[in-house]
Amino acid sequence: MNKARLLSTALSFMLSLSACGGSSGGGGSPPPPPPPPPAPITTAEAFQFLNQTTFGATLEEAQSVIDMRYEAWIDQEMSKNASLQLPHLRSLPRPQFLGELHSDRVDIWFRNSVDGFDQLRQRVAFALSEILVVSQQGALINAPYGVADYYDKLALFAFGNYRELMEVVTLHPAMGVYLSMLGNEKPNPALSIRPDENYARELMQLFSIGLVELNIDGTVRTDGMGQAIPTYDQSVIEGFAHVFTGWNYAGAPSFPQAFQNDNNQTVPMQLYPDFHDTGAKTLLNGFMIPAGQTGDQDLQMALDNIFNHPNVGPFIATRLIHRLVTSNPSPGYVARVATVFNNNGFGERGDLGAVVKAILLDPEARPAMHMEIDGKVKEPLLRLTQLWRAYDATSQSGVYPLAPAYIIFGQGPLQASHVFNFFSPFYSPPGEIRNSGLVAPELQIATEYQNTFVTNYFFLLTFDWNSEKANPGEDEVLIDIADEIAIADDTDALIDLVADKLLAGDISPTLRAEMVNMIDQVRVALPGNNAALAAEAIYFVVTSPEFAYQL
Amino acid sequence: MKKINRREFVKRSGAAAAVGAAFAHYPGMAFSQGMGTTAPFGDYRALVCLFLHGGNDSYNMIVPRSNAEYNVYAASRQNMAIAQQDLLPINPLTPDGADYGLHPSMSGVQTLFEQGRAAFVNNIGPLVEPTTKTDFFNKSVLLPPQLFSHNDQQDQWHSLKGATVSSTGWAGRIADLIRDRVAGQLLATNVSLHGSSLYQAADETIAYVMGSNGPIPFTGFSSSGDPADLFYQQRLAFERVLDATYDTVYERGFAEIQKRAVASVDLVNDALALAPTLNTVFPQSDLGNQMRTVAQLIAVKDELQMERQVFLVEKGGFDSHDDQLLNQPDLLADVSDSVKAFYDALVEIGMADSVTTFTQSDFGRTMTSNGDGTDHAWGGNQFVVGDAVMGQELYGLFPDLALNSDDDVGGGRFIPTTSADQYAATLARWFGVDPVDLPSVAPNINNFAVQDLGFLV
Repeated sequence: MNKARLLSTALSFMLSLSACGGSSGGGGSPPPPPPPPPAPITTAEAFQFLNQTTFGATLEEAQSVIDMRYEAWIDQEMSKNASLQLPHLRSLPRPQFLGELHSDRVDIWFRNSVDGFDQLRQRVAFALSEILVVSQQGALINAPYGVADYYDKLALFAFGNYRELMEVVTLHPAMGVYLSMLGNEKPNPALSIRPDENYARELMQLFSIGLVELNIDGTVRTDGMGQAIPTYDQSVIEGFAHVFTGWNYAGAPSFPQAFQNDNNQTVPMQLYPDFHDTGAKTLLNGFMIPAGQTGDQDLQMALDNIFNHPNVGPFIATRLIHRLVTSNPSPGYVARVATVFNNNGFGERGDLGAVVKAILLDPEARPAMHMEIDGKVKEPLLRLTQLWRAYDATSQSGVYPLAPAYIIFGQGPLQASHVFNFFSPFYSPPGEIRNSGLVAPELQIATEYQNTFVTNYFFLLTFDWNSEKANPGEDEVLIDIADEIAIADDTDALIDLVADKLLAGDISPTLRAEMVNMIDQVRVALPGNNAALAAEAIYFVVTSPEFAYQL
Repeated sequence: MKKINRREFVKRSGAAAAVGAAFAHYPGMAFSQGMGTTAPFGDYRALVCLFLHGGNDSYNMIVPRSNAEYNVYAASRQNMAIAQQDLLPINPLTPDGADYGLHPSMSGVQTLFEQGRAAFVNNIGPLVEPTTKTDFFNKSVLLPPQLFSHNDQQDQWHSLKGATVSSTGWAGRIADLIRDRVAGQLLATNVSLHGSSLYQAADETIAYVMGSNGPIPFTGFSSSGDPADLFYQQRLAFERVLDATYDTVYERGFAEIQKRAVASVDLVNDALALAPTLNTVFPQSDLGNQMRTVAQLIAVKDELQMERQVFLVEKGGFDSHDDQLLNQPDLLADVSDSVKAFYDALVEIGMADSVTTFTQSDFGRTMTSNGDGTDHAWGGNQFVVGDAVMGQELYGLFPDLALNSDDDVGGGRFIPTTSADQYAATLARWFGVDPVDLPSVAPNINNFAVQDLGFLV
């Protein structure tokens, strides 16, 4: 497979060379013929692209991609405004126990993800929410407004600048509470109180540079002894911990009187200068912040210090490629994306829009030939949203009642059990994946237990929550199986239709054969029950390994 | 679920044996460097690892109570200190000169300790070799990488691999070492009730993951064996889809997990249906549920033909940077009550001498306060429970809790005086690992003079 990868890379390299040659033609030679028009995008290719860029490919959206081609489709998506969560939560009556609003927060996440017109923006926001993690589980249980607003910020900055996003995240009270920078005060040696190191540590380890120095292609740099080089030590963490002192909820009479209310959980934290440490601080790579600065000056210099670390490009490139395209990008792919992070072509560092575009238009995301390590395991939540998007699922109330998503799927919107997300970017399951030195992060939550939960949920969603249900509950999200029922007398046609909607028609012979087998048995056992035939077909696809795979 | 009687079960589990054996025995070469015996153990032992996720502030779990030592503790801890009069007294059989007490919410563990059923192992943590403060600052010894970082120190406790990147955990390596001796087991040696973990990852054997209340059955499948049963046919068709050839590593990896899920769920649930009703009342908590399920699985060990089992249970929320005094009491109460209930349930089913429960956690926490919580540190205190435990004792040296003491590398972060390798080796030896194989369980054990801490019979 390395040979195939090499071949694919070489091909794209030659293609780019010939493109250069074309534009530099001149002199006495005749102008070269215009390049041939690009081959039409197939439905399968459009599905691959849409499963990287949306919450699930649909035939309708695939036609848009085919008509517009990739880059124009991306440009159009990037010009769309963000669908937001907070305005919805603010429009609802305030419950006595504010934490109950997390159900509505998850509901609006599903509305925006399944039905939102700004699909690429929402998909990138979801990816960012698995890197810059806060969670309703823990100290934010009573801050649903804050958590919703935090997600909105990720959507608003999905194509913005990473340095600006770092600052928004750092000063957001949801992050302030989650990683305890909010209320962090300067040292008080008499009481052996020193600054809280939580945010300082995780900002570097998880949100920006990681633990060890990286080459631009994401591989680990080593010293002369072949050892990885740590990016920082405990003294650097303490330096940043001192930087992040003095911040608390905005608008309070004083630092000790700053308590959460319904409004301040969505307002950036405010500096209370008396509680900020004004001493000098040593940061990354020996950079010194001088004594006597304001808290905001310290913060700006500290965020610049991290943002300009050479690791940020390959670090963020790898994390976003993992979420959108593949678990095992080649070093060349990471390097190409990291290079765009470092400079978007107009001298700007950290342009996430340019980074996302580079990820999606890279030859490795759009390969001419497929290899067995291309793609990734689909996130389980995306298996659900893809089904619902492909089958126009709605409830009578419009609600998606998935508050316990993290229990059913092992993941849910801002519902991780800790800042390390639902799964580790380094997770490698036993067997051939680990033996080959590859990773498959999503398989960390695909345990025997969790997979069974998901399989059972799909059984409910297909056989019970469908448009044929008599007297459905008003929050039951029903898939529309009218098309399938209409043609269910023909087993092959039924399978073709379901395979077209969910797999771009690319169904394996085994899956098709087993669907024929089961549909014919159901036809005999339950004569005239076309809904059961349709459900059977959909159920078999959505629980199959090929649907669990994102090409 | 349909209940089945014991005779029916034995009949059915004959058919299931092939499946169970297939995943107790992942194909591969024999691993043991020991005597190479393949004889069954002929008895039953289980290790139950209770992982306290996030870094338990264990210097508030066991605290010096005598005046001189308490005053040192209080001076370092300041507003994070537990009041002296609130500590639950314990009376070690071999005192170290100080008196100790437990966190006020840990009466269950206090009772077990005073009855000789529990012991503490103090100031323990990952080490590559014995380390002094001078060694630490002169970098004259090898250290575990990324000290004070959550996931890295969890990995250290799980893998014990020091600076070597590891894809296996010490429980996983134990399962590999004994796999020929437990060939008859219907279920994998390693069972997790809280997700997949490096702790149980192995080269040859694969851990089985269930939920807090055991495996959940597949709604859409039956195992009736009746060809006219659509749900049975559905299960067969589903299994054939999983058995197909797939082009990518991801589909194959996913299918493997699904295959194990389908293959084992009925086996385990049918066995659990035979478990006696426990009179012991467990806490109404996720940890309580996990420990109750483990007790039930141990109760049906004969049905599953188990001789050796390692269970992983876990409780999160210990990363107390904030509101520590508010949150720690409930966390430790749940730990203490769940462990006590689990012990009582084992007594009820007559298995208390065959099961050893022990805690692990990312790290201890700083003695100093960050205002309303504590930060990541290194050495911490753990406890072990069971009738095989030489209880009512403190093992390992309690550190000098004074800030900047010889144990402190800054802010009240203590260099462990006992290594996690010594802890693992002690547990593994009791479990039945051949002594010559202990270095493959605990790779740094030969760097320490004492290889068995002596807390198990």
